[in-house]
Amino acid sequence: MDTLNYLMHGFGVALAPINLLLATLGAVVGTMVGVLPGLGPINAVAMLVPVVFALGLPPEASLILMAAIYIGSEYGGRISAILLNVPGEASAVMTALEGYPLARQGQAGIALSLSAWTSFAGSAIATLGIVLAAPVLAQWALAFGPVEYVALMVFAFACLTGLLTDQPVKAMLAIGLGLAVSTIGIDANSGVYRYTFGSPNLVDGVQFATVVIGLFAISELLIMLDTMHGGAAVRIEQLGRSLFNRVEMRFTNMATLRGSLIGFFVGILPGAGGTVASALAYTTEKRVVEKNDPEGSRFGQGDMRGLASVEAANNSASNSNFIPMLTLGIPSSGTTAIMLGVLTLYNLTPGPALFRSQPDLVWGLIASLFIGNFILLAINIPLVGVFARMLSVPAWVLVPFIVVVSAIGVYSGKSTTFDLLLMVGLGVGGYLLRRLGVPMAPLILGLVLGKILEQSLRRALSLSAGDVAILWSSPISIALWIMAAAVLLVPLLLPRFTRWRHKTALQVD
Amino acid sequence: MTTDRLLGATAIAVAAIMFVFAYGLQAPFAYEPVGPRAFPLIAAGMIALCGVILVLKPGEPSAEPAGPIGALAALSGGLVGYALLFQPLGFVIATTIFMIPIAMIFGAKWWQGAMTGVVLAVSSYLLFDRMLEVVLPIGPFGGII
Repeated sequence: MDTLNYLMHGFGVALAPINLLLATLGAVVGTMVGVLPGLGPINAVAMLVPVVFALGLPPEASLILMAAIYIGSEYGGRISAILLNVPGEASAVMTALEGYPLARQGQAGIALSLSAWTSFAGSAIATLGIVLAAPVLAQWALAFGPVEYVALMVFAFACLTGLLTDQPVKAMLAIGLGLAVSTIGIDANSGVYRYTFGSPNLVDGVQFATVVIGLFAISELLIMLDTMHGGAAVRIEQLGRSLFNRVEMRFTNMATLRGSLIGFFVGILPGAGGTVASALAYTTEKRVVEKNDPEGSRFGQGDMRGLASVEAANNSASNSNFIPMLTLGIPSSGTTAIMLGVLTLYNLTPGPALFRSQPDLVWGLIASLFIGNFILLAINIPLVGVFARMLSVPAWVLVPFIVVVSAIGVYSGKSTTFDLLLMVGLGVGGYLLRRLGVPMAPLILGLVLGKILEQSLRRALSLSAGDVAILWSSPISIALWIMAAAVLLVPLLLPRFTRWRHKTALQVD
Repeated sequence: MTTDRLLGATAIAVAAIMFVFAYGLQAPFAYEPVGPRAFPLIAAGMIALCGVILVLKPGEPSAEPAGPIGALAALSGGLVGYALLFQPLGFVIATTIFMIPIAMIFGAKWWQGAMTGVVLAVSSYLLFDRMLEVVLPIGPFGGII
């Protein structure tokens, strides 16, 4: 079997001492990042972009580190959600619904270890799914030309606006802004300077690291000021019995499996990450339990099945997020968008050809997801107390730390004051946009995909000598256009869907 | 005027500026049917369309309270100052000076801020500049200070 050979090869890459070290480091850092409120995986990965270059890491090592941080933060996000009712990041909101009541009943230890186990199970199922589905999808996507790519990217954008948010217009605005930023600098085809306003700092475009650090890390600091004025003292509940038993495991097995499958499929869709997956898994599980076992349902007061399905789902989704990223070059979350951006910084073109041209990178990354999940399980069950203690790190240590690392990261690229000022400006601008309800992830997606979209569009129209009809000339592209239109139009035609989305959006907020 | 209308109007203004600057973009030697001008115009059109929709059909304003405006302004000002003086003062001095007020905005006492600033400045200088070879600006006296 070809896949098995490649996977074995991938394990060879992932088990190289340096990569194993990076995966472990990423797992620890990721869990910490997930625990700390105000530091999500996006911010951490964004701050790392310049650092991996400074370290001179090869592309597969950079991606392994970033992926470990990404999946680790999903593990970490549950800790503060369960102990304090404060989700460390967005996808842990649903975790708090059942996890916190359990902690209040003195079962925090069980809730933490059980959710670590279901996180692991969800991730493992999703990683298995990647191994099975990704090569097939990549093989199929090899037939994609520029025409199909244009349609595919439009479909991805449509998913982002249609599925993700309560206010699709604002997501579309964010995409437009991202596309606009991607055009800044010298045009590769014609040598024309676009939007440089005579500044030499803008000739080769805006540094990717500056944009992501400004929009995520810096704007998050201002958001922290909005949410801080409670100043709640941290009081951690007693952990109680620290390990779940076999009865509890059997009790939650089906919930874990359902959550993992929901998470896997949601994670494949562009634009829908762990947040949507966990919301969907929770509502599904609640419905299933209320139908089959109405007596035993303790949803809202600490039902372990709710906790299990949510954690399985959001970890499963964060792993299956890698499928569209690796096979199609279409990221489905802000964090994977940044990783794709990093690939382009290494002069690698994301897309199905990666499976053939960069087997080390692709299969090394997939294998490292397996390994990373084992490491995460191994550190999360015994060390949960240590991570929980990080919750008492005061904001006045955390914020200066983020500022300094961000500034160093941005400065390391081109060593200019201009980039530092741009970072602060984007931070303030990003804060204002977020306050106005404009999501940041679609903006990053627009930025990352903008160049590829423009190149595909121009190549396609060169092939047809300017005739736009070529854009819907192949069956695949027609199918993608119809799907894009459906994703955009269904919410308009079905008020019931809009209400559902509104409800999940509210719960997620 | 709701905040959404303001956002929409700003978007239209941004799109107009983009349109003006993109309109004159022409390739000196055109060897492809789509030049450098089309894509910026598409992006501008998308932004303008969203702006118009937001002006015509604004949503409910967000109910979340904003942080104290003084603290927001102070943090933004502190960050701008740090960005401007990062190179002239050198990494260690600029970091120490600016992290004190930033820490204090987030509830530190002045000496806690000062400690955070000094420890962060020196340790990250040693870590990044000396160990990881990320070159950081040196101070006006030519050394770490």
